[in-house]
Amino acid sequence: MLLVGATLGLGAYAVAVLDGVGARVAAGGRLRLMDIAAGPLRRAALLARTSRSTTERPDLQAWALAPAIVAGMAAAAVAAVPFGPGIAVADVDDGIVLFGAAMAVVMVGVYLHGWSANSPMPLVGGYRFIALALSYEMPLALVLIAAALPAESLAVGAIVESQHDLWNVVRQPLGLPLYLVAGTGLAFWGPLNGADGPDLAGGTSAEVSGPALLAWELARRFVLVAVAVVGAAVFLGGWQGPILPGPAWMALKTLALLAVLVWAGHRLARVRLERFVVVAWAVLIPLALVDVFVSGALAL
Amino acid sequence: MGVIARLASGADVPVFPVVAAGGRLAAEALRLLPGVRVEDTPRAATVLVVVGRLTRALLHPALVVHDQLPQPRATVWMPIGVDEAGDPEGLLSAFPSVTTVGAGDTAGLRTVFADLVSGVRASDSPALPDMEPAHWRGVGPYGHGGAGMTGGVPFGRPLPARAPDPDGLELDQLPLQLGPLHPGLPPGLVLHVGLQGDVVRHAEVGANPYQSWPGDPAPGPLDTATFVDALRLPTPVADLELARARHHLRWVAQALRLHGLEALGLRVAALGGSLSPTDRCTVQAVTRRLAGSRSLAWATAGVGVTDGGLLDGIETRLETGPVRRAAGDTGDARSDDPAYQGLGFEPVVHQGADAWARLRQRLAEATQAMDLAERAGMRVRDPGPALEGPRGTIRLDAAMPSTALCELLPALLAGSEWGDAVTTVASLDLDVEEAALARSGSAPASGGRIAGTPTGSGHQNGGRPGAGAR
Amino acid sequence: MAPFGAALAVVLAAGVAVLAGRWLPSSVSSVAMTAPERVPFLGGGLPEVHAWSRYHVRYYSMALLFLAFDMEMVFMYPWAVVFVEEGAIALVEMLMFITILVLGILYAWREGALRWA
Repeated sequence: MLLVGATLGLGAYAVAVLDGVGARVAAGGRLRLMDIAAGPLRRAALLARTSRSTTERPDLQAWALAPAIVAGMAAAAVAAVPFGPGIAVADVDDGIVLFGAAMAVVMVGVYLHGWSANSPMPLVGGYRFIALALSYEMPLALVLIAAALPAESLAVGAIVESQHDLWNVVRQPLGLPLYLVAGTGLAFWGPLNGADGPDLAGGTSAEVSGPALLAWELARRFVLVAVAVVGAAVFLGGWQGPILPGPAWMALKTLALLAVLVWAGHRLARVRLERFVVVAWAVLIPLALVDVFVSGALAL
Repeated sequence: MGVIARLASGADVPVFPVVAAGGRLAAEALRLLPGVRVEDTPRAATVLVVVGRLTRALLHPALVVHDQLPQPRATVWMPIGVDEAGDPEGLLSAFPSVTTVGAGDTAGLRTVFADLVSGVRASDSPALPDMEPAHWRGVGPYGHGGAGMTGGVPFGRPLPARAPDPDGLELDQLPLQLGPLHPGLPPGLVLHVGLQGDVVRHAEVGANPYQSWPGDPAPGPLDTATFVDALRLPTPVADLELARARHHLRWVAQALRLHGLEALGLRVAALGGSLSPTDRCTVQAVTRRLAGSRSLAWATAGVGVTDGGLLDGIETRLETGPVRRAAGDTGDARSDDPAYQGLGFEPVVHQGADAWARLRQRLAEATQAMDLAERAGMRVRDPGPALEGPRGTIRLDAAMPSTALCELLPALLAGSEWGDAVTTVASLDLDVEEAALARSGSAPASGGRIAGTPTGSGHQNGGRPGAGAR
Repeated sequence: MAPFGAALAVVLAAGVAVLAGRWLPSSVSSVAMTAPERVPFLGGGLPEVHAWSRYHVRYYSMALLFLAFDMEMVFMYPWAVVFVEEGAIALVEMLMFITILVLGILYAWREGALRWA
């Protein structure tokens, strides 16, 4: 339990710091590391001291539940990942199924967040998110299945061990890029931020303030962290590595993936909804299928 | 003061800007200030910043937004230019409390914020009276104001009415007034849209908030003040071209923000803010990088296409300008301008007529402007009746280009997805304040007022004195 | 079942923690909001109607396609576990199965199911 909490908490902080660095680098400004390191904490403190807004006749229960659902699902995904041989909160036999299911429920959480404010901008954000999410759930599940083939198991721990000789990122070169595209979308981050974009005045979070905004921003970063943690285990060999202990390798690999995700967010323009959907179905899913069958053939 | 309060008062100041008359450049410059965070929604902001001179038509929207800020909140006024003394009508007294802070004065802003967060300063009370939109409590069989299945005013408002859908369905349509303070639209633009899901069924441009009441003082200074001034005063060609490059870079920065590349936009905005003739290579590099960006092409290609005689079908004439040239039209007032003879000026033209073509068009024109500025040397342009501004031909006796650009909106936006609609509006580079100037129907007089505003061109530099005076 | 219990506990704990974090600070010093403070943000405009509306889920055909595909994919999970054991026959079988599904995507694409603006 502590492990999951620490991973999500530190991970969310790392995302905020990486994002601060990425923004400063992209903007060409000077890096003031003290401000970047303290910035997220200061903002969190400010949000905690700000009042929580409401709208006319919102669905209050659903509104409160939305960040809890999203954060809970992110936590479930992290719980299924072992950080070293046997170091896992819940190393279930069907780890990647659990992850896929959790990420599908995230979709419900985000939509609820947009719906429950009874306000037009969040509503459109939720509507868009479903269209995007339906398009990348499939490639996500497919690349994870491909990774399970050589392991002959759906447990994340078994998948990590199957990469003893060769990491999946090399063995299945299509896997990680497809996974990261889907993962960016799950956390509605950067180019796939259709749900909370500036054109919608913040989208699903346009009407939340104070602690509610803090909870939502945290939940969203938790999802990004969960995506990176699972990605590190499934594609980058998890805890395996020389000299350093297993958990340290996991932390390093997770940070590397987070850095890639954050960097892409500052480099790529937000996609157009409809265009992305066509590409997801016509390109990403076929590529994911190719990944499954080529990985299968190689595993035999 | 507790640990949390101390931490909180060190946070970047989250502001929501109200871009009032003459405040557009200073409002954009807010994003470049260290320690300031410009938010997309008032719910995430702590300080409401009124930039420029508030007009009567802007007052109510500003008060609505003011009340949408969560507690604790404060209001700050940044006066612009000669109007420092000026809120002649006392409009700002409608806010519970207003602190005046100089434009770009981060320290002043931070003091207000820190006092507020630490509790030294009281949070603003609501500005508008606590009145519900309709009487509903205790009304109807369930006491919630509703009547029948979907009638009445449940909880104060009716449910949306239905309207036809292109698929032959009858579906709810939300009648919305978006703007004048919507972060996805140019400041001051009011759009009345009918929204079904995320599709804009129809859109009309609402009353111009910068000059809709008779007797409102003239707006200004415009963001194109350098060009309007040049109609009456001899101006170095190099100054004009630098101002053009600066204008296009400013626009690119705003467009990048809406496409989710805010940090990259800040870099471009900073370059535009301090642009000097020696930045030619930097502008070229920016142009090359953005015009070659696959992801930007992907986000903008095919959006907001101005084909099928759309540009000729509007009431006000759009003579020239990047929007026309991005549709393959070679018209450019500089082609016939004696001041540009012998400089090797050739109009830049793009095909496609979409948002992507307009983005590349403005990037290419910014690069070209840097070249022209270098080649022009000390050459001075004599005052003349027409001049190529950054949005199109400016004349003493005709409407400004933004008026025509506003008229394009209803036809361009109908039927588009909301994200595409925002991309389209941004790609036109229209300035609502400039449109207000033309609407007053007295361009020469207004032009004269602008020419007589000594700080006009100073603000073109985003408040950096000397950056353009070369 | 123990690991699943642990996973469930984690979900609940994280959910409750976030819920509490969202609720507590402002319930300590709660301020009643006036009617104008509760107006949805439209950039300065006032809404005429409630936002909740029956809108056209224009991607419904894509959603149906997703549903079909997602159901079939459930078979791939157990398949992945026994794949190496069963050998090439499993590969060929799944290939045939997926080919039929992909034909479905191609058909839907041709019919314009992915174009809805």
